[in-house]
Amino acid sequence: MLSKYMVKIAFWLYYSKRYENTKKFFYDILENSDHAYKKFVDIFLITLIFFSIGEVIYGIKHIIPEWLHVFSFYIISIIFGIEYILRLWVHGDVHKIIIKEYERSQFLKIQFNSKTALRKIWKEKWSHIKSPTAIIDLITIIPTHRELRILRVFKLLRYSKSINQFVDVLKTKKFELITLFLLLIFLIGTAGVAFYAVEGNINKNINSLFDAVYWALISTATVGYGDIAPVTTTGKMISMIVIVTGLILIAFGTSVIVSAFLEKLGEIKDNRIIESIKNEDKFIIICGYGQMAKMLLRQNNFNNKYIILEKDPNIVQQIAKEGLNAITADASRHDVMVKFNVQYANVSVLCLGSNDVDNIYITLNVKSLSKDIKVIARASDESMKKKFTLAGADYVIVPNQMANKMLLTYINKPAIYTVMHALLAGKNAAYLDEIKVLGSDGLVGKSIQEIGFKDKKLLLIAIQKESDNDFIFNPSPSMILDENDILLIMGLKISVEYFVNTFQRGLE
Amino acid sequence: MKNKKRAWMFGYNKQSKSIAASLLAEKFTITIIENDDKNFQDALHDEYKNSLLIDITEDSELEKLDIKEDDWILCLMKDEHLNVFLTLSLRASCPKNQIIAISHSIYATQKLKMAGANEVIDIYQVSANRIHNIFEKPIAIKLLDNFISSAHEISFKEFAIPKNSFLDGVLINDVDFDKFGLIFTGMIDKEIRDEFIFAATNINHKIDNGDTIICIGKDENLAKFEEYLHKDIV
Repeated sequence: MLSKYMVKIAFWLYYSKRYENTKKFFYDILENSDHAYKKFVDIFLITLIFFSIGEVIYGIKHIIPEWLHVFSFYIISIIFGIEYILRLWVHGDVHKIIIKEYERSQFLKIQFNSKTALRKIWKEKWSHIKSPTAIIDLITIIPTHRELRILRVFKLLRYSKSINQFVDVLKTKKFELITLFLLLIFLIGTAGVAFYAVEGNINKNINSLFDAVYWALISTATVGYGDIAPVTTTGKMISMIVIVTGLILIAFGTSVIVSAFLEKLGEIKDNRIIESIKNEDKFIIICGYGQMAKMLLRQNNFNNKYIILEKDPNIVQQIAKEGLNAITADASRHDVMVKFNVQYANVSVLCLGSNDVDNIYITLNVKSLSKDIKVIARASDESMKKKFTLAGADYVIVPNQMANKMLLTYINKPAIYTVMHALLAGKNAAYLDEIKVLGSDGLVGKSIQEIGFKDKKLLLIAIQKESDNDFIFNPSPSMILDENDILLIMGLKISVEYFVNTFQRGLE
Repeated sequence: MKNKKRAWMFGYNKQSKSIAASLLAEKFTITIIENDDKNFQDALHDEYKNSLLIDITEDSELEKLDIKEDDWILCLMKDEHLNVFLTLSLRASCPKNQIIAISHSIYATQKLKMAGANEVIDIYQVSANRIHNIFEKPIAIKLLDNFISSAHEISFKEFAIPKNSFLDGVLINDVDFDKFGLIFTGMIDKEIRDEFIFAATNINHKIDNGDTIICIGKDENLAKFEEYLHKDIV
């Protein structure tokens, strides 16, 4: 009977869109760090933690008002309790385990065993319950003793990336650290028992085995409070052995932790850069660092909203010293690009490496994640352009070809070269700018003649109307400007800026 | 400014091949100079009969070349150090020639300029400019593409002012370029200095015979304007 209802409910939950959405919502706000609302939930819970700890500290020397006590004792505990239950709920899918078990029994033509299903469910949930963060969560719910509430501070560990990273680093040296810990326990235990046997009846400060073990720990850590000291020669000898061995163990333990950090340092730095760039709505990913990337970043650092992915760790080390946001990563790998949530943000990818094969692969990799990502790729040769276009690149840059064109223009049409060079480099004398006509400025509804670009020492080169994707070159003086038109204007930089300030910012 | 139809191209490699082909199409007489036998054979194989294999680090070898004052010199050696050294050597032996060099790094660009190149085209700077413009000025880049592309409809054109043409002796502000569907971009006024003056400076120059003006416009309008410029010249 129980089995029957279990399966029935499991299938009902499986087909319930509402249940799925509700669960996803709670999962997102509690566990999905990419979700917009999670940070608000985190801030709320962190505030409660600080409030609770503040109340404990204040209560040590002051009388706590009743409402404050009720809030800290009951309300916060209830909120933390609900949080604990929700985290337990969103960890794994109970109904899916039941359905899987049910389908297995159907396939094997055996009776569905609810106990097996429950065992699997327990196993799944237990993996969450026994996790350090869940244990801390559980401790923080229990408010029995005021002093115990101070343990709520450990709950902050969940929200501190640095501490989480520290724990991750320690995990990589789990074997070494466990071995050291066992050795330490053995040393303290043996030394404690030996000290108790030698001085238990002589030393007035040793009243129990606990005192001896306490002394052993203090001596091993080389702290030496002085409250318990050996009084016999044998006791002193034990002390000497314990202190020397303790020093060796501490040195060994420190070196294990330091080496773990050195091994992981690069990864930690990379993750920090990724996390910070991921939070931007719009950013640039530069794949491959060479002369072209260097030139580009000198000209435009994209308000620091960029990241360089470079395969060579030596190059990354070098450019990181120059303060550039660079990480060691292979942009052609799917998992590398996925890290940036490129599907959701407004991302442009620049493939600026010198290898066409790599650049095409990166282009395909990026476009396979989202067609909306703008890809600008560098090609070594004009003949490669077609392949890049097929791969989905939005713009293909052929440096040799562009330089050759400039060189030939310089030889054949030197005056035109001067203009082109000035326009491309954004030089002051021939500053080409795009100005969007806003509803709030004084341009809407006016004709080009009325605005009098020439009097303002500007050349109106073209207009792009919102409705038309193409631009209108040298538009007629009678053309009326509409909202969202884009004007392509050339002039001295100062003239262009003055025009923008006059019409759009009203600063005349 | 008239075109000089002889070019000395130092260095024959993947990049200079397309430059050589384009110059040949523009009726230039090209002489290719190489110091590497493999590249020299490559140039001969590509039927550049005027190819020479010399030690370009030797001044005496360079002096033997019959470089005239009006000839263009292109320094396109792949080795940056050699390219800078060559530019310096050529500037010393050919003080009046136009020397153009291609650079592959910002540091080389600076050195090539110091070595005496009249113009240095930094291959990566040009590309970086373009990428920058793609982000900052996407519409402008479309227009600039039009100018560069061979399949353009809109382009730049320079016009040398003929004597007694309708522009000879006229002030810039008195000319209605709109009538021709053109935008006046700037000019080289021989009277002042042989330097380009942008229209944006808004100085009312007098156009004279021998000056050069630059306009942007549709190809057909540019052609009509040129025709009009040469009409009724006595």
